[in-house]
Amino acid sequence: MFKKTNIRFIIIGLALLLAGYSLFWTIAYNTFSEEKLEAMRTDGTIDQFEARTIRLGLDLQGGMHVVLELNIPRLVETLASNKTPQFDALLEKCTKEHRESGEDFFTIFRRNVDVEDFKLVRHFNDRGYKNSEIIASLQDESKDAMQRALQIIRNRVDQFGVSEPTIQKAGQNRIIVELAGIKDIEHARNLIQSTALLEFTLLKDPQVTQSFISSVDNYLKTGHGDIVKEETAEEDTTVALKESKDKAVSVNELLGISETDAEMESSDNDTSLVVDEELFAEKPFSSLMRNVHNSIGVPEKNVYAVKKILANPEVQKLLPYDSKFLWSAKPERVTTNDGKTENYYLLYHLEREAGIQGKYITKATATIGGAQTKASGQPIVNISMNNEGAKIFSRLTGSNIGKFLAIILDDKIYMAPRLSVKIPNGSAYIEGLESMEEAKNLAIVLRAGALPAPVDIMEERTIGPSLGRDSINTSAKVGLIGFLLVIAFMAFYYKGAGLLADLAVLLNFIFVMAILATLGATLSLPGIAGLILTVGIAVDANVLIFERIREELERGKTVRAAIDAGYNRAFRTILDANVTTMLTALILMQFGTGPVRGFGVTLFWGILCSMFTAIFVTRTIFNFRTDRKILKTLSI
Amino acid sequence: MRFFKETNIQFIKFSKTAIILSSVFLLISLVSIFLIRGFNLGIDFTGGTLVQVQFEKETTTGEIRNALASVNLQNSVIQKSTGTNEYMIRVAQMNDENDVPTLVTQGLKKINDSGFEIRKTEKVGPKIGQELRRNTIYAIVFAILVIGVYISIRFQFRFAIGAVVALIHDVLFTLGIFSLAHLEISLSTIAAFLTIVGYSLNDTIVLYDRVREDMKIMRFDPIEAIINKSINQTLSRTIITSLTTFFVVFVLIFASGEVRVFAIAMMIGVVVGTYSSIYVAGPVVIAWQNKFNAKKN
Repeated sequence: MFKKTNIRFIIIGLALLLAGYSLFWTIAYNTFSEEKLEAMRTDGTIDQFEARTIRLGLDLQGGMHVVLELNIPRLVETLASNKTPQFDALLEKCTKEHRESGEDFFTIFRRNVDVEDFKLVRHFNDRGYKNSEIIASLQDESKDAMQRALQIIRNRVDQFGVSEPTIQKAGQNRIIVELAGIKDIEHARNLIQSTALLEFTLLKDPQVTQSFISSVDNYLKTGHGDIVKEETAEEDTTVALKESKDKAVSVNELLGISETDAEMESSDNDTSLVVDEELFAEKPFSSLMRNVHNSIGVPEKNVYAVKKILANPEVQKLLPYDSKFLWSAKPERVTTNDGKTENYYLLYHLEREAGIQGKYITKATATIGGAQTKASGQPIVNISMNNEGAKIFSRLTGSNIGKFLAIILDDKIYMAPRLSVKIPNGSAYIEGLESMEEAKNLAIVLRAGALPAPVDIMEERTIGPSLGRDSINTSAKVGLIGFLLVIAFMAFYYKGAGLLADLAVLLNFIFVMAILATLGATLSLPGIAGLILTVGIAVDANVLIFERIREELERGKTVRAAIDAGYNRAFRTILDANVTTMLTALILMQFGTGPVRGFGVTLFWGILCSMFTAIFVTRTIFNFRTDRKILKTLSI
Repeated sequence: MRFFKETNIQFIKFSKTAIILSSVFLLISLVSIFLIRGFNLGIDFTGGTLVQVQFEKETTTGEIRNALASVNLQNSVIQKSTGTNEYMIRVAQMNDENDVPTLVTQGLKKINDSGFEIRKTEKVGPKIGQELRRNTIYAIVFAILVIGVYISIRFQFRFAIGAVVALIHDVLFTLGIFSLAHLEISLSTIAAFLTIVGYSLNDTIVLYDRVREDMKIMRFDPIEAIINKSINQTLSRTIITSLTTFFVVFVLIFASGEVRVFAIAMMIGVVVGTYSSIYVAGPVVIAWQNKFNAKKN
């Protein structure tokens, strides 16, 4: 018996350890100062914290929630040619039906086309002859448009200026965008809705890039000298001090030698800046970069530091006027000589002016290279341009053979293929793609700039940061008062056993928070309400048990027997009651949107944890006491 | 300390009165919902725009309405949050060409150039509103069905009937109060309704569980006596749990916005849920049993 109780204590101890570990990140993260956070951003160690922290919902930290929908009727209208009044009327009728019934647009469209015996082939080219073929092709087109819309918004993620934006596809043709803590709502809305800009721009000569990087290295080296000077001569005038301090901050953080960073480096080498120590002093800028397939590769952890240096006004002055730097859209996984695999973002140095706009593209498709071509059997992307585009492209390719041309969507580079021949007729192909998947993605990017996907805002909610703060304050205050009232009542009504129940409620709170942190869940206002309700449910379990124990004691049972009977009898009741509430919570998680869902999540896990704390934990402590000596009376 | 020692209150005796009382109130609820007042649905369900503004100085509804007239939004619903200088401005349309919150901001500048802060804006398209309404009805119906099935499996079919009737009673009752008092129904109110469903069910199951146990002990007693005994046995637990939940929910009323509406719904739910598990869930089982037995004889 004694051993059994020990095992129970060990289980509880383990659960607490696990909970403590998963809560550690949240607690640590929230105690960091803003300087420390900025330092972590620069040396790339912040990700491991952000991924494991309980995030606050939009209603608590302020932000923007947008639901977008692909406007399929408008897409079909754009794709149609020779529109007749009959066609317009058909489309209008379908649109109206679609809006009213919420039924799938294409189902309605197909039905109406059949009823009116409409010949769709008169209005759509290259999509087959039969109505069914044309409708299937339009459906594919709408899926493609959805892909493009998602691609465009994802591509703009870092322009939103928030740390962890959520962009997800919902259902067939909806996109949900959540931007926590966003300040400029107007700007975000424009970013979401504006059409994408596709450009092709020539890369700068490597020599030009090389000389720029060297000059930045030199500049930073002199900057580093300034810091040393400041440390030795502390009695400088305040103005001078201020100046040198500014420089000290950027260089310090770049080199990862601020106090906190030094600590990090010694304790955890993997997460620190990927920099060759010896190169530091000599080449503070270029040592942050690597050669990746003959392009400039920047390890993911160094990206923030490199961006910071490039944004420095003094560094900007060194940059050749007719050029700019842009980043690759996605990181590349590269294994370096020393066997370390890492994500690299590629940094490109380009002409300031675009060589040709993407709007001239009429078609971009992924396919397998034909037998007689150089790319035979490999995935390629075919591009066609209209006449105007063909002329510009011919001139561009003709005079730049051997140079690299970057494909840029909204200032993100997807690829920079080499121009191998002059392309006179506006029909080109891109080779050197690793897989069909990559080819398809590139084709989506190329189409994104040419064929806008019409999206409408269906829902938009914004919460100001002050309201979020107020909500946290009131809900924390209110929650605490409710919690204390319950705790006081239990201790008052059930004395010793009541304190035990209070302990269980406290543990329950810790466990639920730990689970939320592990799941990476978001805590919203309704979530807090769910948490408070969980307190009630956890207490109820103990009330059921204690009432039963009292009843059994009154029947003359010994303390030990009364406890056993009380727990056994009450367990069935608690289980049935909790399962039904959990079923409701699950349904809320399934059907609910946003806030209601958050409520369901905390309620579900709260009840599950309460079964452990209110039954298992309290029982263990009762057992512990009855194991050691036979209790004559029970404080209940 | 104990509030109740063994009680022997004749609850079932009053069940006829209770049924009449419940029926009358449910009738009033239904009349109010379908014939007179309907629901005060929030923009989550109707679509539209909501702007929450906080003013620095005391401002009246009239001033706001006048200011909004300059941007042709004088027909908005303007509501003051109690105890604050905060207003909710609700506009029926969600206009894409002119951003409604921007219009409202423009209008309010007529009162004071910078003496206010837009704290929250919500724009919901009519299509989303319709969908949410549909999903919510699904959620409630589905929840009641699933619970019915679970109780049929764990207990008996007649208990499931009793529990489901009690649930419908509670939801209708709460909806009736919301309709009569013209309280706004939003997404979080729906969450509250579903919590009421869960809470009231908790009570009902605790009772049924005891009935199941007592039926084995009091094998030859009439069902009325068994249920009455079970109600008395669980009474002290019912009161204490209702009390603790009431504490928590009562405190929530002092929170703001959505949580407050949620708390009001829950308060009603706690009271009605406790009542219905005694006077609806119990008597329905009795009625079903009597009917069933009568047929068998």
